[in-house]
Amino acid sequence: MKKYLVISLFIILLFNGCSKKDINTPNETTKSSIQKASNNSKLSTSQFNEDSDLSSFEDEFEVKKESDPLRGYNRVMTNFNDGVYHYFFLPVSNGYKQITNNAVRESVGNFFSNLLFPVRFVNNILQGKIENAGEELGRFLINSTLGFVGFFDPATSEFNLQEHPEDFGQTLGYWGFGAGPHIVLPFFGPSNVRDILGKYPDSLLNPVDYYEQRDYNLLNNNFESFATKTYDKINDTALQDRYGILKKDAIDLYPYLKKSYEQYRLQQIKE
Amino acid sequence: MKKLFLVFGLLFLTNNLFANDQIKVQELFVQKIEEVTTIVSDKGLSKQDRNSQIVKTLEPIFDFEIMAKLSLGKTWTKLTKEEKVKFIELYVERMKKSYSSKLDQYSGEKFEVVQLQQPKENRILLDTNLVATEKRFDVKYKFYKPKYPKENKNDWLIYDVEILGVSILKTDRAQFKEFLQTQTLSDLMAELAKSNS
Repeated sequence: MKKYLVISLFIILLFNGCSKKDINTPNETTKSSIQKASNNSKLSTSQFNEDSDLSSFEDEFEVKKESDPLRGYNRVMTNFNDGVYHYFFLPVSNGYKQITNNAVRESVGNFFSNLLFPVRFVNNILQGKIENAGEELGRFLINSTLGFVGFFDPATSEFNLQEHPEDFGQTLGYWGFGAGPHIVLPFFGPSNVRDILGKYPDSLLNPVDYYEQRDYNLLNNNFESFATKTYDKINDTALQDRYGILKKDAIDLYPYLKKSYEQYRLQQIKE
Repeated sequence: MKKLFLVFGLLFLTNNLFANDQIKVQELFVQKIEEVTTIVSDKGLSKQDRNSQIVKTLEPIFDFEIMAKLSLGKTWTKLTKEEKVKFIELYVERMKKSYSSKLDQYSGEKFEVVQLQQPKENRILLDTNLVATEKRFDVKYKFYKPKYPKENKNDWLIYDVEILGVSILKTDRAQFKEFLQTQTLSDLMAELAKSNS
């Protein structure tokens, strides 16, 4: 019997807690509406209320002290890349937009994306994502044939096969490699030690990369490779100016891009 | 035995309360998206009018003020009253501006709710997909329930948005923090004002 008493008491207390809260709230609002009469004090009550909310966010946004040994260099390189964007990629891609229509740009984007199939395929397998790798293989076969060597993407529109972008940096991350210090690469932008290490294996799988003569290389030398990649980038910027959109929210460009890149990569590795 | 029932009953009840909150947030979100869709489908509106109407529709579910405060981290507490008022004003304006400029890219793509999570009693994570032609983008809305309801605001308010894993608030915190290492708060406010103009 006693036990039930205790339990029912507990329940009553619980609900009491709720009702008390309900009574408190209108009190609080009437209080603030009274104080609204004098303009400034309204703000101080809302500030008081929110400060109690603020403290509850502390653990969510607490950041560990991170080391950024290359900050000086990184900041300079960020400005350099920003200049390259403003004085080269942006005007050139705007000019390119004048002479192409969106269908052409999309087809070119599809073509380059299709070429990167080996990178995605191998890295999906290396992360044990066999189903995704199979989907990638299906996409490549369909788009390379029905899609006229990749200029069209019937795999998505007709067969509902999705792209699964994976690279070796993500593979390393998947197997537990830490990111290491942040490094801003010329032209490529934000990166880190792990993702730079991943660039070499990926370049071996990339038919438009060039280091040495290989059977599956599509190009004859490093210059052609560089030119092709530049064109890809121009087309990509014309398709969607992600950097320009992203940059609008930057107050301090380097830490803004750094933090965005880190979070984006973490998400990609998690997926 | 009965005691066990009671305990389970209680657990069920609290669980249910959680579920109710989640339903509320989801319904709120779906309703807002419908309102936005109606605005977008009105082709007679200029882009500027359209964006400002959308911002107005969404304002009751966003808490830009708390975002402003959280974006400064511990520095917030060191501000004077006047600085606080000024900073909030600038930050809120910047948020609305930034949101509007992102809306320029928006042409009525659908939002699909992927899942809801309630990590804490007063936190709900709404995971959605923005479905564009042929691609999906992961957008997470983070809601919290303020201790005291706010004027002209919903019970549950968005305090952060994560687009493709990138949190607006975390990114702002990082850039403001580094900015303030070498420059002053008034420099920061000047930069914010500049980006708003």
